[in-house]
Amino acid sequence: MSAPGITEPTEAIARARAGDADAWGELYREYAPAIFRFCRRALPTREDAEDATMEIFMKLKGKLTQYDTTRSFSAWLYKVAANHCWDILRRRKIRQDKETEDVESVPLEHPEPSQLEKLIEQRSSEEVRKALEKMGARARMALVMRYYSDMSYDEIADALGVRRAFVGVVLLRARHELRQALEGNAALAAGGAL
Amino acid sequence: MSEIEERDLKHLDEMTLLLYLERQLDRGRGQEVSAHTEECEACRTLLRALERESRLLTRAMLEDSEPLPSRLAQFQEAARRSMQWIWGLAFGLAATGVYALYTGYIQPWQTQLEQAGFSGTNLLGLLIFQSPFWKGWQPVITLLEILALATLGGLAAMFVRRRIRRGSALALLFASLCAAMMLPGQASATEMRKGDRVSVAKDEVIHSDMYVAGGQIRIAGTIEGDLVVAGGDVEVSGHVLGDLLSASGQVRMTGQVDGSIRGYAGNITVKGKVGRNVMTFGGDVNIDRDSTIGGSITSFSGRLSMDGHVQRDVLAMGGQTNISGIIAGSAKIRCDELNIDSSAQIGGPVEFSGHKPPSVAEGAKLASPVHFEQLKHGPDYSSPHYYIWQLIWASAYILFGLVLFALMPAFSLQAVHSLEEQVGASFGLAVLVGFGLPIAAFITCVTVVGLFVGLSTLALWYGALHFGLVVVGALIGQWLMGRTNELWPLVGRMCVGVVIVRLFTIIPYLWFLKYIAAFWGLGAISLVIFRRFQPAVAAGSSSTPTAQPLPPNTTVGGPLPA
Repeated sequence: MSAPGITEPTEAIARARAGDADAWGELYREYAPAIFRFCRRALPTREDAEDATMEIFMKLKGKLTQYDTTRSFSAWLYKVAANHCWDILRRRKIRQDKETEDVESVPLEHPEPSQLEKLIEQRSSEEVRKALEKMGARARMALVMRYYSDMSYDEIADALGVRRAFVGVVLLRARHELRQALEGNAALAAGGAL
Repeated sequence: MSEIEERDLKHLDEMTLLLYLERQLDRGRGQEVSAHTEECEACRTLLRALERESRLLTRAMLEDSEPLPSRLAQFQEAARRSMQWIWGLAFGLAATGVYALYTGYIQPWQTQLEQAGFSGTNLLGLLIFQSPFWKGWQPVITLLEILALATLGGLAAMFVRRRIRRGSALALLFASLCAAMMLPGQASATEMRKGDRVSVAKDEVIHSDMYVAGGQIRIAGTIEGDLVVAGGDVEVSGHVLGDLLSASGQVRMTGQVDGSIRGYAGNITVKGKVGRNVMTFGGDVNIDRDSTIGGSITSFSGRLSMDGHVQRDVLAMGGQTNISGIIAGSAKIRCDELNIDSSAQIGGPVEFSGHKPPSVAEGAKLASPVHFEQLKHGPDYSSPHYYIWQLIWASAYILFGLVLFALMPAFSLQAVHSLEEQVGASFGLAVLVGFGLPIAAFITCVTVVGLFVGLSTLALWYGALHFGLVVVGALIGQWLMGRTNELWPLVGRMCVGVVIVRLFTIIPYLWFLKYIAAFWGLGAISLVIFRRFQPAVAAGSSSTPTAQPLPPNTTVGGPLPA
């Protein structure tokens, strides 16, 4: 896993770990835009995203010694960012998850495939972004972690504090919520039997 | 597939399809889903829709790359400027502290020493400039040249560091330094002799430095350079135009040495004439009635008998000192017992620190009465100075730790972790490095590599010893306040821990704890350095992930059926 379009600057990482301020500056310039975009998608406002980006990099400076150099740097970076953003959301008590970990309560029926295809084809990226902003914090966070930063199910479970088996449910519910926001069509989002 | 057949198929639920798409199903279940979607049009369509939805989500999140807000773009620079300001303040405070220390404590002490008659120099000055270590200005100029070269090398390395790896720059710098130090200082031949019995006859002249090793050494001839001897029984009755350096069981110098004598021996007797200074480390040191010392005597010995003529000062530390000769300058003596005979003459003040008052014979000619200071065992708890110094030491350790933690956060953190997780290895290395390194450095000082490398190693060792105490302080802080991996919380814990260690040292009979702490910390530091030199753990050398993850943001499922 790596930040989109970024080749990992291993030398700068090693130097930054050794305390080189210039190397740290290089890393900041390299990764700050991607982390800002991550925060922008995960948090409600632009100001929140700016503050969070700065806080994340301040935190990273102290945590850099914990980074295992045999793993992907950007994956680790996103993990720290996800934890930080989720902490912010939890502190503000805007976590509006109505989900429970009861997998039985999740709708397991098919949505209408052709209607779903049509919906996906008709919507633009812009509309999806606007729909994301309307979503609950947890659902949005799950989608951002999975489809923006390509985090694994284990990492998502770790960040959200849920069991790994529940991550799929969280993601599916988030998709339903997204569809609902896109269409305003509760029936489609809830899924109807074939 | 007919309509009836399709109706009979049990459709897969959306959850199963999503997990299949995201490669979260086990192999068997994945094959079942794959087989099913090949036959079921509705499930295939839903699978395709889910995949498109994933792609749409990724695209929507990646697009619209807002430019980094100016506040964030300037954040790094602003944070750096702010840190520079903090560093400026820290060093300013440190400089003020040093100035206060100097004016409050060091300067008055120095003045007292000068009043005690050490010819306007302090103890360090006496040791350095009047002892045989001092070989004139030429070696200093050479040292300055080497330092200047090293500085230039460092600047060059900084200049090109963006082009070459930091490790390479350091390697280049050290290689250049070593090369510079290995260059021959001056083209001169050296006479070397060894054997059970080695002698230089009376009429023999050695036109260079001479190195002699043997059981019995007799030097009756003339040595135009330095004479370096290592043997069981050494007698120098000839003329040495340079310095005499000796590491022997017994040394007798009955001839003439124009330079200085530097002797490490069980028994040293000086009966002849020495042009400059004498520094002796020995069990029994005799400066005979017939001897003349042109400079000063510095003696660390079990017993010193000073019966000759010294034209400058005497500094003596040891068990017993007997003075019956002439000292033109002052005498500073710290030993158990001082006896001044009636034939003694001392031109400057005499300062004696010992456990009992000196014995001064009636006929002794002293410029002033002996200033006697009774030595006490252990610290003086009634003196406020003691507590002020404890406070200063604690602050100094905290400042030292703060600077090193900020300069080397990763290293410091690893040292603290090593301390906690590998107690045995840390203690083992502490014994090895704590005692082995000074011995190696000492040997280096007297070998061809030179004084500079030896003293630099000793300085590093000494600094690491103090850093070791700071590291142990950080560990104690962690025990009390919880473990942390972040820099500033760790610094906070270090402050608490250092204060605790210093408080423990105030308690009588527990003073040794700080030495244990320092050595333990030194072991942990050595362990981290040792690991860093292991090729397998070259930090940042590779960041290849151990397992190849899914391609970023794109692939989200198993193969779609055609």
